[in-house]
Amino acid sequence: MVQAVDSKWQILREAGYAYNFDREIYFNRQTKKVFSVEFVDDHSESVLQKSIEEPNGTEWRFYFNSSPPAAVQRELENVLG
Amino acid sequence: MDSRTIEDRLREEYFDLLPEIRRVTERLEAEVKYLLLPIRSKLHRYEQVVVSARIKDCDSAVDSLRRRQEGGTFDTERPTLYTLRDLADLAGVRVLAFPSRPLTEVIEEIRKRFESWKPDPLTILTEGESLVFPKYNGYCEASNRVRGEIQIVPMLVGLFWEVEHSAIYKPSPQLKGIAADLEMKRCASQVYTALTAFEHQFETLLEDPNLESR
Repeated sequence: MVQAVDSKWQILREAGYAYNFDREIYFNRQTKKVFSVEFVDDHSESVLQKSIEEPNGTEWRFYFNSSPPAAVQRELENVLG
Repeated sequence: MDSRTIEDRLREEYFDLLPEIRRVTERLEAEVKYLLLPIRSKLHRYEQVVVSARIKDCDSAVDSLRRRQEGGTFDTERPTLYTLRDLADLAGVRVLAFPSRPLTEVIEEIRKRFESWKPDPLTILTEGESLVFPKYNGYCEASNRVRGEIQIVPMLVGLFWEVEHSAIYKPSPQLKGIAADLEMKRCASQVYTALTAFEHQFETLLEDPNLESR
């Protein structure tokens, strides 16, 4: 079980993601993607890998279990800069 | 329209609830101590059962509620969605026991007395196994707005948490990142494994009929 959690961490780290402890999210400013801890916990490594590889534009993209409301997206975008 | 932030509203709610939080904490602590008196009175010299209580402070409560939201962020367009009454641990009692014999008795007594309360066990993943620590929450006669929480933990683990929390979580938000570090998680996992092994070995030796001749 720990191995599964660790390997998801590893996948995210290798893809250049950092962890924001306060918001409990993984984020990458280059690819403009944000993963919630809940999303990472509830999805397999292959889904995670696929999500990381998905092309993205210049807007932040949120991988959450429940789509974040606009106000939450704005707040997180401010936090992430 | 209320122009205050969600955090301000929640702080006001906290101080409205505080007298009840205190009453729940005091009642639970007294009730658990009374319940465990028979167990505590027949402990061996090497056994310990310690009951402690704590009230979650205002900032921790607001922060805890925020971090429960996915993405750790309040939806500012829906401020009425949030209430501190959703937190189960505003009033908390923790029971530490060593070794597992009294711990098992404590768990059994509390489970029976608070059977209507909701179990919400805390699971810690280590490299060898999953450690599960019982936790219950519910309402007592002191309040119908504030839930109480009772947590039962092996003493060695509980004391480790006290050091870990005061070192990493309390002093500064920046230090919280330490807990998220992969290598730190591995170290913590090894601590749990070692503490569990210590307790097992201690109990194994207690049952050894040749202990005195060692």
